[in-house]
Amino acid sequence: MLKLKLNHKDDLFKFILSIFVFGIILIFFTVVTVILYYSYPAVSRFGIAFLWTKEWNPPKEIFGAATFIAGTFMVTIIALIFAIPLSLGIGIFLEEYCPKFLKGFFTIIIELLAGIPSVVFGVWGVLTIVPWLRKYIEPFFKSHFSFIPFLQVTENIGYGILAASIVVAFMVVPIIASITKDSLAAVPKITKDGALAMGATRLDVIKDISLPFSYRGIYGGIILGFGRAVGETIAVVLLIGNQAIIPKSIFGVGYTISAVLANTFTFAVISPIYASSEVELALILLLVSLIVNIIGRNVLQKVIGGKLSRAQFGGG
Amino acid sequence: MTDINKNNIDNITENNKDEIKIEVKNLNFNYGDYHLLKDINLFFKKNSVCTILGPSGCGKSSFLRTLNRMNDYTEGSKLTGEVLLDGKNIYSKSVDVVELRRNVGMVFQSPNPFPKTIFENVAFGLKIHGIKNKQFIEERVEKCLKYAGLFDEVKDKLHKNAFSLSGGQQQRLCIARAIATNPSVLLMDEPTAYLDPAATATILDLIADFKKFYTIIIVSHNIQQAGRISDYSGFFLDGELIEFSKSGDFFTRPKDKRTENFITNRF
Repeated sequence: MLKLKLNHKDDLFKFILSIFVFGIILIFFTVVTVILYYSYPAVSRFGIAFLWTKEWNPPKEIFGAATFIAGTFMVTIIALIFAIPLSLGIGIFLEEYCPKFLKGFFTIIIELLAGIPSVVFGVWGVLTIVPWLRKYIEPFFKSHFSFIPFLQVTENIGYGILAASIVVAFMVVPIIASITKDSLAAVPKITKDGALAMGATRLDVIKDISLPFSYRGIYGGIILGFGRAVGETIAVVLLIGNQAIIPKSIFGVGYTISAVLANTFTFAVISPIYASSEVELALILLLVSLIVNIIGRNVLQKVIGGKLSRAQFGGG
Repeated sequence: MTDINKNNIDNITENNKDEIKIEVKNLNFNYGDYHLLKDINLFFKKNSVCTILGPSGCGKSSFLRTLNRMNDYTEGSKLTGEVLLDGKNIYSKSVDVVELRRNVGMVFQSPNPFPKTIFENVAFGLKIHGIKNKQFIEERVEKCLKYAGLFDEVKDKLHKNAFSLSGGQQQRLCIARAIATNPSVLLMDEPTAYLDPAATATILDLIADFKKFYTIIIVSHNIQQAGRISDYSGFFLDGELIEFSKSGDFFTRPKDKRTENFITNRF
């Protein structure tokens, strides 16, 4: 009797839990469906040209995503250019050189860094990176490197693609660094010992054994970092300058997909085609991040067996 | 880079057979609070095979790793005493660890090929030690693979990944890799532990053949194997060297009761 009762409770509990799980799956498909449904008017009106049309003119109802796509990819690529070497360096140091008693401490700091809300990063960027760029970096580039394309300074206000990229880079570093560390940790000790026993230095071991062994994992980490950078919103809104133009320089202002959505979607609902165009922007972002995450996870699962900590998927 | 270009492999020097190659004096090794090796004294003669026996955890592997300073990387460890290789203490400040390890090769418990091609695995040590002459490298790789009895099996796939080989082939590849830098000492840490009987027999034949060129020190827990292939045998227990003598005496007339217990399988 008692056993039956317990079993009954167990079944009920299991049933409730499965509703939760089913619910979250439903939410995922609802998101995809709603985005597809509401973007349809814009997709059918502007077609594929939406992707390379530069004009974004709500009063004339002409909408093209080119400026936002350009801004998004510039911020993402520049952020990764900063973040990748820094993260690899940190990951390699932590796994190969760091004394044991410090390793745990540094790892915690990196995980904490991943947990800082992005708006806090954005505020920090406005208070430090923007004035630093305005006072030192931009004048320096203006007087020395103005002949190099993409490095010209026109406005010298500190805000722009570079400011956003630097801050996004710091948000991506914990992801790539901790995955690099875990991938290197998965290299068998006996293989590293084998190289050391041949007279290899630690640098030889890293270069010839550890990195070739773990490049897949590191590659996966970079892809996840890319995913994070592509979707990063609030910090970018605060730093990028928010103008729908294709930046001609990394010091120029611009706009990203996520930033324009955050800034204008609430007004866009006044016009169905304006709203639909913005939803189409969301669709582009959704597809890019889904693809990037699927690729990144697949690559990683093969290497470290899918054991991913919070830092590797920090909130955004 | 002193000896790497010479082909000692071809010039067998049997004349100095009784010379001492390695002498270990008052060696103590601590890891944290553990006194892992306690006052070890012994010597290894040139071109001999010596097996270090003992139950798991007796310190035999740790001992082997002190002979090419692999313990250098063990955080929180401390070593006192001397290891004289050709009369020079390998722990003295003037010793170049890279050159030491070129001269003292090591083969591990389980095959540990590098994530590279078969060719690159064998050429690894040569490249590490700054050898760039392509023809020399190619000849040396072929020669070492032949000595390790692997060449015929891999000659058509030298540029395939080393992981495509079987376990026994991988271990012979690791042996070829270890001898490529022309060492005078080979350390082997239970080199047949994970191999099937046929692959084990191949490796043991190699070892018997190799003592013409190298001083070989093997760590093992396999008593029969040790009796078959080694000239000298030593027995470790709880970090102490209990007994060390010619294999003939060691197995037939052990001096210490504990050695006798071990070789008659009472541990």
